[in-house]
Amino acid sequence: MLRRKRPLKDFSAELEAHLALETDRLREQGLSDEEARTQARRNLGNRLASEERFYEAGRWMWLDHLAQDARYAFRRLRKTPAFTLTALGTLALGIGATTAIFTLVNAVMLRSLPVVKPEELYKLGKWSNCCVLGGYSQEPEFSLVSHDLYRHIRDNTPGFEELAAFSADVQPVGARQTGSTRGAETLWTVFVSGNYFSTFGIRAFAGRTITPADDRPGAEPVAVMSHAAWSERYGSDPSMLGATFVLNNRTFRIVGIAPAGFFGDTLRPGYTPALWLPLSTEPVIRGEESIIRPPDSHWLDLIGRVRPNVRPAALESQVQVQLSNWLSSHVGEMTAHERDELPKQTVHLAPGGAGVTSLRDEYEGGLKLLMMVSGFVLLIVCANLANLMLVRGVERRRVISLSMALGARPARLINQSLMESLMLSVIGGAAGVGVAYAGTSAMVRAAFGAAAASDIRPDPSAGVLLFALGVSVATGIVFGMAPAWFTVSANPVDALRGSGRSTGESGAPVRKGLVVLQAAISLALLCSAGLLAESLRNLEYQDFGFARDNRWIIRFDPLQVGYKPEQLEALYRQLHDRLQQIPGVLSSSESVYTPMSGDRWTAAIFMAGQRPPGPNEINMADVNRVSPGYFGTIGQRIVRGREMTAQDSMGAQRVAVINEAFANRYFKDEDPIGKHFGKGGPQYAGEYEVVGVVADAHYFPWNVREPITPMFFLPVTQETHYEQVNDIATEIRSHYLHVVMLHVATRAPGLEAEVRHAFAEINPNMSVGAVQSVDDMLHEDFSRQELTARLTSLFGIVALILAAIGVYGITAYGAERRTAEIGIRMALGADRRSVMLLVLRAALALIAMGLALGIPLTLALGRYLESELYGIGRNDPVVLSVAIGVLAFTAVAAAFIPARRAAAIAPMTALRSE
Amino acid sequence: MLTREEKERTALLQGTLDLLILRILMFGPQHGQGVARAIQEQSDDVLLVDHGALYPALQRLEANGWIAAKWGVSSNNRKARFYSLTKSGKKQLVEETGHWRRLAGAIARVLGPEEQEG
Repeated sequence: MLRRKRPLKDFSAELEAHLALETDRLREQGLSDEEARTQARRNLGNRLASEERFYEAGRWMWLDHLAQDARYAFRRLRKTPAFTLTALGTLALGIGATTAIFTLVNAVMLRSLPVVKPEELYKLGKWSNCCVLGGYSQEPEFSLVSHDLYRHIRDNTPGFEELAAFSADVQPVGARQTGSTRGAETLWTVFVSGNYFSTFGIRAFAGRTITPADDRPGAEPVAVMSHAAWSERYGSDPSMLGATFVLNNRTFRIVGIAPAGFFGDTLRPGYTPALWLPLSTEPVIRGEESIIRPPDSHWLDLIGRVRPNVRPAALESQVQVQLSNWLSSHVGEMTAHERDELPKQTVHLAPGGAGVTSLRDEYEGGLKLLMMVSGFVLLIVCANLANLMLVRGVERRRVISLSMALGARPARLINQSLMESLMLSVIGGAAGVGVAYAGTSAMVRAAFGAAAASDIRPDPSAGVLLFALGVSVATGIVFGMAPAWFTVSANPVDALRGSGRSTGESGAPVRKGLVVLQAAISLALLCSAGLLAESLRNLEYQDFGFARDNRWIIRFDPLQVGYKPEQLEALYRQLHDRLQQIPGVLSSSESVYTPMSGDRWTAAIFMAGQRPPGPNEINMADVNRVSPGYFGTIGQRIVRGREMTAQDSMGAQRVAVINEAFANRYFKDEDPIGKHFGKGGPQYAGEYEVVGVVADAHYFPWNVREPITPMFFLPVTQETHYEQVNDIATEIRSHYLHVVMLHVATRAPGLEAEVRHAFAEINPNMSVGAVQSVDDMLHEDFSRQELTARLTSLFGIVALILAAIGVYGITAYGAERRTAEIGIRMALGADRRSVMLLVLRAALALIAMGLALGIPLTLALGRYLESELYGIGRNDPVVLSVAIGVLAFTAVAAAFIPARRAAAIAPMTALRSE
Repeated sequence: MLTREEKERTALLQGTLDLLILRILMFGPQHGQGVARAIQEQSDDVLLVDHGALYPALQRLEANGWIAAKWGVSSNNRKARFYSLTKSGKKQLVEETGHWRRLAGAIARVLGPEEQEG
């Protein structure tokens, strides 16, 4: 439309000149001045119309038309609210849901740490591990290191500009500000090396960060506080800088506040550290439990910044060499087994820009599934949108043909359709962005809890949003314009002549195909949702081997408040007696850990009277130390023998209770009662006498799908005298119990307050963690699976609704097109039932085709689901049948509405419908 | 079939006026009123040019590059916009003239000699 510039004024001047010349000519022919002027003007005709025509030929016309088309499109959309709202809802849901899911994936799996140049960071170990590993061999690679090994690698690997170490696990500490009236509260802390902050390139928001000078034995204990803790717990109080805190009975000074958004090395929703402490303060905090000294206690993760121009492969081999050097220098302390394993020991480096992220490992399967599901939903959204636009386009055919017959330009008609599609896309897209924002933060909250929402930034990712927006908008535009395009290139007379009576139409196979596709995908999604929900039920309500009702867990830490080993027995007795006095408490017992409390101790064991283990075998078992009456309290069934009692005292025979897995593994066909075994070396093989066998129970929330491992229980009232320093330390540490389990009659509302009161009575300085019910904890432990199942269900429902809309739309449209035919049939004697069947039959055929396509699709997709399922096959016939039933019922119900409407029409009205 | 017929009819009418304008400009530059007067005079007053249609036609020819325009002074000393034939305009004129002659001849043959008309 762009033409050479010629102003309207110029054109007017030309017409003016024409009038003058014509007037001259007419005057020459003898007309009077007045007559000549009038005649000239009459000859020229409507001057304004000429000028308008000139203007229309000008280059601004498209803008005028655009505004006109926009007004027209808006008016037409408002006239059909059902269509408009359906299309907008579809767009908003599709764009919003897809973006929210992808954002969650992005935040958890792909986002880099908020540090300087994350691409330069490398971490030790491809697979993340936790929390403490002992000995001189790690399978399949070294991923955790001891303080000694850290210093060796740091000082001998020139390829690292800096190498930082930090504890793999968060450490809870009881914290109380000096001079504050507030009681002690539990804060999460991480021990970090002096160069931790400089390695990440992080500067303090206020004050300073921890430096190598702080990370020295004898240095003043200092701590850096996280920005989140500072602002949320302490109201951004500037006096926090330089304030002193009593952490586990030792005074620490806060020297700095970390920058906002820095959550440390690893994303740990709900366990984000509030304080970072120098590694050298680990013995101060953990006291007797300290593990910084033994060279074979591996509890540190390493992340380093590579020097420019050093290849990662070269760096990796440097680290590998240093590992074997270090191991060779410790051969003397190794067990025979470890010496055999020596050649296999290796280490790998992996990009560390995203942190250690065990979260990524944990959520990866579920998130991938959700990504796939949301992709399918986007596909259905596009199909639905395409269908809606096609139906609308076909309905417009008469109007377009009539306009063409009256001389409208084809381009203009296509532009009008385009404008309508664009307008829908823009409004729907805006609504989608809104849904994306609301949905993302809701989803993060649902996945990780409200507290974690600030750790994981719930802003929708711009790229994903644009992608979803682009796909939906493109679909809307293409399918909005296509019918108009076909109509203008067809012969308008044919279109006008055939209106309302034609039996075949061009777009029908495409639209029917889209509905079939929708039904098929909906079936697959419904089936996945059903399988995941069923699997979650199996997982969560399986027999865990312990009781979940009316059981409560309380975490405490006698070490924090400085109890000496010899004071412990009195403390436990006092605690036991005091807790028993709380009304409703049936029993209480203490242990190092309980099922689902999230700790695990493992030891190498030696059996008395059996040949010693060969060089390549190692007998491992989980070990727990418990107070008398423990099994009754947690509800773990005694299968044989007895449980521990107060009679198993210091002077008596050392006893142990084993689980069934232990009995089956180490005492295959024998009666385990009375047999002996021990830990710490072959010389202790006669130490423990087995007095009882308990039923297997799942202790570890992270491997409930795997078979239960051998486990044995030792009474807190007994101890073994070892010779090795490490063994002595371990034995002492194992007597510091950390969990109280309460069995109550019914849930009393004041239980938590009563428990806190009881602890405070015994020692006011002892901090007590949350009082949690085992039932709630199980729920929490399965929250990831629950989230996956819930989101898949949500998507399944969305897909079902969209498919129903699709079926409804195509049936309603088909029925309307056949109104005249229906009228004739009814006039010829067809009854309402046969009319309904006529309309329904078409819909049923589509649904049947959808199912025929959907069943193999569902079976094929089941493969991707397999790893998420528990206790249910991926082709479970019940779930599949239910999904088919739900889909068929919904689709038939959707088709039923227009069928009934068609049958209710009066024959005369139908015949006059032309 | 409606559109195609309509399109052809319009094209024919437009083409005729365009052809005549190009033909007049063969004799040299002329302004709009002059072109209209020349067509009228040379057709012995049979063809009356609608002045309202004339300027859009000139506009169109100019856009196609067949004629060029510039402001000048008429013989009786009035300012006017003068149009002249361009090279591609001359080519177009030759082509269109041939086309028109063939068409006119064909129509004349179909209609037959004048005497036979009753």
